[in-house]
Amino acid sequence: MKQEISALMDGELFEDDAEAVLDKLKRNPDTHEEWRTYHLIGDILRQPDHVHVNLSIAIRERLQAEPTVLAPSSRAINNGRWFALSAAASIMALSLVAWLSVQVGSESAPQLAMQQPSAVHSASLPSNGFEDYVIAHQEFSPRLDVYGMTSYVHTVARHQKVEQP
Amino acid sequence: MGEREIDQQLVDRAQRGNKHAFELLVAKYQRRLARLISRFVRDSVEVEDVTQEAFIKAYRALPTFRGESAFYTWLYRIGINTAKNHLQALKRRTPTTTIFDAEESENFEEAGLLHENNTPENELMSKQVINVVNSSLQALPDDLRTALTLREIEELSYEEIAAVMNCPVGTVRSRIFRAREAIATNLRPLLGTSKDKRW
Repeated sequence: MKQEISALMDGELFEDDAEAVLDKLKRNPDTHEEWRTYHLIGDILRQPDHVHVNLSIAIRERLQAEPTVLAPSSRAINNGRWFALSAAASIMALSLVAWLSVQVGSESAPQLAMQQPSAVHSASLPSNGFEDYVIAHQEFSPRLDVYGMTSYVHTVARHQKVEQP
Repeated sequence: MGEREIDQQLVDRAQRGNKHAFELLVAKYQRRLARLISRFVRDSVEVEDVTQEAFIKAYRALPTFRGESAFYTWLYRIGINTAKNHLQALKRRTPTTTIFDAEESENFEEAGLLHENNTPENELMSKQVINVVNSSLQALPDDLRTALTLREIEELSYEEIAAVMNCPVGTVRSRIFRAREAIATNLRPLLGTSKDKRW
C-alpha cells in the first residue's frame, strides 16, 4: 500500500489503480500519514532552507465545521460542455450546408431565366455589326471553354449563312 | 495518470462530499501555498492563518472549480487574493512592519525573514526536521538517492528517470519508494504521533 501511495503522489499509476488507492485512502485515514510524510520529504528536498509547520490538522478541524460541499463534478460539466459544443457545431455545419444549397438553387434559376430571353432576343437580332463585334472580341471572353467555343461556332456559322445569299 | 489528473480525481471526490479527498490536497499543497503566501505576509503566524483561510475559501469555492486550469493554479490564485485581502485589512487597522508590497515580495528573501519572525521552538524543530531529511538522503545508497533526487528536485517522470538510470520503470518506482520510506523511518520519531503534531 505504501509503495502505491508513493507512485500515486508522483502521478505514476494507471487510472483504475489510482482510483483503487484513493478508495483505500478514503477507507483508511491512517494511510494519510504516509501521504503527508512523503510530501513533507519532497517539500524539504525542494526547499531545504525552511519548512513550514503542518497545517493540515488545523485545517481539518475547520473543515469539519464547514457544510459539506456537494457540487456537480467538473468532469461531468466539461463532458456536458463538450457535448453541447459539438452539437452546436454540428447544427451550424448542417445549417451552412442547407443555406449553401438554397443559395445555389436560387442563383441557378435566375441565370436560366436570363439566358432564355437573351437567346430569344439574339434570334430576333438582325445580323449587323454587333455579331462582328462579338466574334472579334471572343478571345477576351472569360468563358474560353467548350461552351464558349460552341457559341462562337454558332455565331460564325450564322454570320456566314447571312452573308451567303 | 499524471499529477494533475490525480488532483482532478481528488477535486471530483471532494465535490461529491468527500472531505478526506480535500484533506489530501491540503497535505500536498499546504507548504507550497504557505511559501507563496510568505512572499506577501511577513509574520509566520499570519502566514499560517492566511494559508488556513485560503484553503477554507478554496473548499467553499469548490463548486465553482470547473477544471479548466490546474487545481494548484486555482488554489494559488485564491492564496494570493487572500494574502492581499489580509494586507488590506491590516492597512485599514494600522500600518505595521508586516506589510509588504507585492513588488517588494518579488525580491523577498523568505528564509531570513521567517527566521526573524518564527518562534525559537518552531525554528529549532524546523532545522531538526530538515537535518534528518538531508542526512537520511545522504546516507541512502547511490541508486536510491539518485532516483529520489531526480523525481523530487528535477521533477522527472519515472520513464525519464528509467532512461537516465538505464533501468526498468518498475525499478525506478521501487527505488523511489524505498528512498522515501528510509527517510520517513528516520523522520517519524521526530514527527511524533500526537494529534496536534506540528510537522
